Amino acid sequence: MTEEIETAARRRIARARESALRESGWRGTLALFWREAFRFLRMAGQTLVSPVFTTMLWFVVFGFTLGARLDEVGGVPYIDFLVPGLIMLNLINSAYLNAAFSLFLSRIHGSVVDLLVTPLTPLQIMAGYLGASVLRAVATGAVIWAVAAFMGAGTTHNVGFTLLFMVLTSLAFGLLGLMVAILARDFDDVNFLPSFLLLPLTFLGGVFYSVNMLPPFWANVSLFNPILYMVNGLRYGMTGATDVPVWHGVAIVSTLVAVFGFAAARLLATGKNLREGA
Amino acid sequence: MSEDFTDEHLLTIEGVSKRYGGVTALRDVSLRIRPGEIFALLGANGAGKTTLIGCVCGLISRFDGEIRVAGHDVRRDYRVTRQLVGGVPQELNHDGFLRVRPCLEFQGAFFGRRRLRERAEELLRVFSLTEKAGVNTRFLSGGMKRRLMIGKALMHEPVLLFLDEPTAGVDVELRDELWTYIEGLRRSGVTIVLTTHYLEEAERLADRIGIINHGRLLRVEGRRELLQKFGRRWVEISLDRDVPDTLLQTLAPLQPVKTAADRLRIEFQDTPENGGGDGPIQRLWVAVAAEKLRVRGIDGGHSRLEDVFRELISIDGNGEGEESP
Repeated sequence: MTEEIETAARRRIARARESALRESGWRGTLALFWREAFRFLRMAGQTLVSPVFTTMLWFVVFGFTLGARLDEVGGVPYIDFLVPGLIMLNLINSAYLNAAFSLFLSRIHGSVVDLLVTPLTPLQIMAGYLGASVLRAVATGAVIWAVAAFMGAGTTHNVGFTLLFMVLTSLAFGLLGLMVAILARDFDDVNFLPSFLLLPLTFLGGVFYSVNMLPPFWANVSLFNPILYMVNGLRYGMTGATDVPVWHGVAIVSTLVAVFGFAAARLLATGKNLREGA
Repeated sequence: MSEDFTDEHLLTIEGVSKRYGGVTALRDVSLRIRPGEIFALLGANGAGKTTLIGCVCGLISRFDGEIRVAGHDVRRDYRVTRQLVGGVPQELNHDGFLRVRPCLEFQGAFFGRRRLRERAEELLRVFSLTEKAGVNTRFLSGGMKRRLMIGKALMHEPVLLFLDEPTAGVDVELRDELWTYIEGLRRSGVTIVLTTHYLEEAERLADRIGIINHGRLLRVEGRRELLQKFGRRWVEISLDRDVPDTLLQTLAPLQPVKTAADRLRIEFQDTPENGGGDGPIQRLWVAVAAEKLRVRGIDGGHSRLEDVFRELISIDGNGEGEESP
């Protein structure tokens, strides 16, 4: 090695160190967010169009057939009553699946190391993934909302609250997806929650009916289902109708965001299943 | 304008040990790398090379000991050290959702870099991937994936580059191109640590060589010094008749070996003293002349890094050899 090379190296190190000390990392977070958004937009047929199409089928079948026989549920037309539940169904799924599959697949393909060698903090990695999860979930929800409005549903009671509630719910389930992606050992683990827990709880959480229509015993049992509060929170924002106090929904979703957020940040910080030997 | 970096070493590894359950992957490894050098870490599979690299790059966060890059601790100041370090993992990977060019651009963007397009184009050209820029990374061959991984590690212009088996699965022509590129990188001021199975690679590129076995760094020496200290030379002559016993007796201190009835071989340490006027070759020559023998042919050579490596590993055996330097 010549003196010339060593001098060039020393100069280069000094410059790189100076610029490294200035870098906050948030541009990297934005890049991660865009990569994740780019990923789901590249598969828009599967990630956006398909859930919207499926949900509109639910809407047509239930809204127009059952809606024709039911005058009002909870004080609003059944077709209006139905929209928030169907949106919540998609919000939960989209937010969860986006984070869970993306991170889990990058673990399987080994490309997660590309992220682990970056200077991004656990919080910045979490923010990048979550941002894309929320974007996908809210975009899916918003498209369903718009199409439902086009088909005659009147669901604009409190747009600000509705959007806030959509973002909060997406955050909670995006965080859950991240946790599962880190802890999962195979694809069955990733699929278990949406298939065997989230979907049944959502269906039993008053998507298609008001809990007041259930026998008292089952109505009381339903009160232990957290997704009931989320569906009703969104229903309140869209129609003004709700079976349970709205603040219960806000409190439950905020608590889930805090708990899942803490747990996901801890998992990322310890590097469990991501960094070798952690 | 920034002052030059004045510390003697860019990378300092002190007493690093790592265990996986009952298996010790690294045992009290200490190593220092100077700015601008190319350091080759040689070792068999499972010797601990990848674990050591993982500790520096941030892929392994729990280990005993201390690692500093440009004076910054890799665990406490990881946001600085990871900007300075680039790592090419040994395992091939791909992002099934991305094409080659965006894959490079995103990697640079994670480090907050700007002018990503230009940098990506430059690396695509260097690694002969320009034609594949629009292809999904999962459709690349193994060699192309390897090149893309090196490209990704270079996107943020690291000052310390770790190449874990960089030419594994790469064809000979491209391997030569990669070596030339690595030499060019070093000339531009990048410090390089490479692990390799191809001893030829270390012999061509490295200034210093470290030999690691069973998680212990057995020896760290300059390439030339290592070859000189452990390397051997040999000379073999073929005579016009059978080798006489008297010649064998005269040369006994050199431990000559009869490789055929009319062929004689001597081996000796490759040191400057042995190359002098009283060296083994001269002694052989004098003895042959004294016996009035005619030499029909002479062969000769010196051991390569591969032989030195094997010798050192065999000395270490099951890992009970010398202490780490």
